[in-house]
Amino acid sequence: MIEVTIDGRNVSVEPGTTVLEAARSAGIEIPTLCAHEGLPPEGNCRLCSVEVVERGKARIVMSCMYPVNNPGLDVRTVTDRVMALRRFVLQMLVDRNPKAPVLQRLCSQYGVKPRLAPEVEPELCIRCGRCVRACETNGTSALGFANRGWEREVTPPFGENSPDCIGCLSCADVCPTGRIGWEEKGGKRSVWGKSFDLVECERCRERYATPEQLRFAGVDPETARLCPRCRRIEQQERMRLGNRGA
Amino acid sequence: MDPVAVPTAEAPENLASDLEDLLRSTPRHPRFLLPLLQDIQCRFRYLPRDALRFAAGHLGIPESRVYAVATFYKALSLTPRGEKTIKVCLGTACHLRGAGSVLDALSRTLGVQPGGTTEDLRFTLETVNCLGACALAPVVTVNDRVYGQMSPGRVADLLEEEAGHEAG
Amino acid sequence: MRLANPKALEEWRARLEEAAAACAHLPKVRVCAGTGCLANGSAKVRAAFEAEACARGMTLPVDFAAETTGCHGFCERGPLVVIEPGGILYEKVKPGDVPEIFEKTILRGEIVARLQYRDPNTKKPARTPGEIPFYARQHRLVLGRCGEVDPFEIADAVRLGAYAGLAKALDMPPGEIVGMVRESGLRGRGGGGFPTGAKWESARKAPGRHRFVLANGDEGDPGAFMDRSLMEGDPHSVLEGMIIGARAIGARKGFIYVRAEYPLAVKALQEAIRQAKERGLLGRDILGTGFDFDLEVCRGGGAFVCGESSALMASIEGRAGEPRVKYIRSTERGLWNCPTVLNNVETWANVPRIVLDGPGRFRSMGTEKSPGTKIFSLVGKVKNSGLVEIPMGTTLRTMIEDIGGGVLKNRRFKAVQTGGPSGGCLPGKFLDLAVDFDALTTSGSMMGSGGMIVMDERTCMVDLARYFIDFLAEESCGKCTPCREGLKALQRILHGLCSGRGEPGDGERLRALGEALAETALCGLGQTAPNPVLSALRHFPEEVAEHENEHFCRAGACKGMYWPLVDPSKCVGCGACGKACGTGAIKGAPRIPHVVDRQACITCGACLEACPFSAISPVRRERPA
Repeated sequence: MIEVTIDGRNVSVEPGTTVLEAARSAGIEIPTLCAHEGLPPEGNCRLCSVEVVERGKARIVMSCMYPVNNPGLDVRTVTDRVMALRRFVLQMLVDRNPKAPVLQRLCSQYGVKPRLAPEVEPELCIRCGRCVRACETNGTSALGFANRGWEREVTPPFGENSPDCIGCLSCADVCPTGRIGWEEKGGKRSVWGKSFDLVECERCRERYATPEQLRFAGVDPETARLCPRCRRIEQQERMRLGNRGA
Repeated sequence: MDPVAVPTAEAPENLASDLEDLLRSTPRHPRFLLPLLQDIQCRFRYLPRDALRFAAGHLGIPESRVYAVATFYKALSLTPRGEKTIKVCLGTACHLRGAGSVLDALSRTLGVQPGGTTEDLRFTLETVNCLGACALAPVVTVNDRVYGQMSPGRVADLLEEEAGHEAG
Repeated sequence: MRLANPKALEEWRARLEEAAAACAHLPKVRVCAGTGCLANGSAKVRAAFEAEACARGMTLPVDFAAETTGCHGFCERGPLVVIEPGGILYEKVKPGDVPEIFEKTILRGEIVARLQYRDPNTKKPARTPGEIPFYARQHRLVLGRCGEVDPFEIADAVRLGAYAGLAKALDMPPGEIVGMVRESGLRGRGGGGFPTGAKWESARKAPGRHRFVLANGDEGDPGAFMDRSLMEGDPHSVLEGMIIGARAIGARKGFIYVRAEYPLAVKALQEAIRQAKERGLLGRDILGTGFDFDLEVCRGGGAFVCGESSALMASIEGRAGEPRVKYIRSTERGLWNCPTVLNNVETWANVPRIVLDGPGRFRSMGTEKSPGTKIFSLVGKVKNSGLVEIPMGTTLRTMIEDIGGGVLKNRRFKAVQTGGPSGGCLPGKFLDLAVDFDALTTSGSMMGSGGMIVMDERTCMVDLARYFIDFLAEESCGKCTPCREGLKALQRILHGLCSGRGEPGDGERLRALGEALAETALCGLGQTAPNPVLSALRHFPEEVAEHENEHFCRAGACKGMYWPLVDPSKCVGCGACGKACGTGAIKGAPRIPHVVDRQACITCGACLEACPFSAISPVRRERPA
């Protein structure tokens, strides 16, 4: 275990723990956008900056990725410098994305107002990449980044109808701004320009997954007749009956 | 964005067979993605849409990764390039010595914007960031031929000399 | 063919030296076939020499040889030809000159005066490269074989010393090789200036079965072409350095990453690798010592950001060239998460000498903290432009005035831009700065890859900052918010300033944005992107203020932000301006001071550039009421 000081509070953590995680364990929250507990960190939004003092030198690092590996690390999560840099990052984001609720909340917290330049088309995507990482972690990497620089965008190849997409909606689940839209209507689900049938649970009638999802997860057709909840209920039933019978 | 919709002299009809030898000579490891795409680009003068899927299958990687690489690198194109690519160097030395006006002159004469291809598919006009021939600034290359000390006045000569060269 | 051991290598070298000495008296020409000279037709010149020799009944290559070499570094004067014996240098040689050269110089030892290089200031002709200040004042150690050898012939390089350092290194324990490099004080020549020995030490100590050595040949800085010359002209210097490095850290595989725009360099390296393998200098069981190491060339895809180390590695791995957050060094977890040493091509080329001659010899040149020599590309508004290898600690003045011959057309020196898009501009008061890594950084710029771009008063510093930001915005990978969005914001302000739409406070906005960007960007590209802007604000604040508040461009570069005004007391009516003008806006009779017609003038700046008497200057326009 290694000792690290965060805003004056001492915390003991395993080596390799990120400053963000260490701060959370000390009850200190640092704002983030691209970080997600279930996904590997990428450190691209640059919002979670903190100041660390190591061997007498202070520098700015991203807490979602900076590992606590050496004892004596001194972390400050709220300094003038840190606040100014967070305001800068938020300003850059909100100048292109004035509508996302999560950004609006952060902006009012940090006193930042959008200044959309006339030639800029407002967008909801902040390129945090959570959707891409989720698709890679949970699914099939149907989604990825394309282009570079200002033109960088999240898209399935050629913009639509990826043969690899299984319609699991992991991407939509993790999107912080609501950019990823999806729809369920008439027994079909559509996302990223692709339409999926939905499998219906024989017991509760809920349309709970796409056939592609089930195939990907290796769920055989027999098991797939029931949704996970009903499967558990049926299993409990069997166990109960089994016990009684014994 | 769909390259097949663009009028092209040679939309590859039997893509699979056309790619066969390229795929056979490419080891099936993800690290060969960029060289494979560069080879395909060299052969067809662009990356046909289905070629990306073949590449993904051959290398065992998701198509989204192939698409990411195909759209990231400037050397690769999803739309047909001209027989000859004219690259105007906009490196610092060339910039100082008037590369901008050379680009304007070429753009006007060919009737295309930088990045565009002439309708007859003979020329693609591009800008490039420093070719490393700075002492010859301003520099223009056509495929691998280098033209140094260019000026708006020499654009006509360049195009004439290129007309003399075979395609490529 | 295959050299069984280091002794066999030395024996071969001795035989090659003997053979060369035996025909040292035979006539020979060395024609530069680097990218620059090739562009100016040097291949035809070489062919003309061979044809002329044949026409005179000579047998090639016994009676006469026309060899090609890599880049001589003086590309503006190409095609360059050196005649042996005697080392006579001719510049701008055309095929039509060849018969005369043969008749006079080769057969009779007489000089063809019109083909000689003439000093732009003294007008004195130079007989050999050694008589040209541009070459004479250089210490061409790393570039030693460039221009002397045919890069496609390994025997040439071996004859001049290639692989002697490797033979010595193979006999040393790996730790000792690292120690030598540490002691030498060699710092990365690609831009970072990181101590090479420390990097190697860190990789050597890192745990892991697989290790890699990489060469960064992505050379994306506009204005820099030293790596191109090295790769094209003496690829074995890079190979040798990497094999030594591989032995030092225990790597068995290496990659040389070459940018897509350098096809000749790719060819030269691939052929060098093939020939080195043939001789047993690379590949399995190198020189019979049981050491295996293989090298491969990777071609870039046209992305400046791939010069950043983690982006370069991503590119080799077959992914988009996006940098990653690097709190764990790549010497511990780099290519495929294995310990990796990535060094610039020029850094690798320094290694063989350090091992062969010892660190003391290396340290005997340069400065305390920046020992050795550095190759600079001196370009822009300078009379002698090309590659210059000089000891660290040489002053800017020596570089620009003595070696470079001074500013083109004898105009006034305004600034020198160093370090490419990551660097800054240094005005005249810095001319006596002794150039090394730290001196450049403290003065607000940086070494970068060694580009030195000379500017005169016709360069607008705000336009230059705009130029670099445009470049970086085009090359940004777009992964992190500050770079992707921040460069766009900087672009907007700079374009406004350069098109007469500057607003009060723009300079301050640039500064605040730039400083925040530098602190929050994910990689070196973004972190150093604001440097040209911040440097303009620091050293040329009046110019920025004029763009901001008066919409005036004193350099006469930004369209619509000045009027060209002819000074009748200086104008002699030569008409050069009228000829350069594309819209007929300058009228005047010969020998009568000319006048600019403001109705027709589009402020393209051609007249300002063309006037040999500096009689036209940019003046403020009246603002509309």
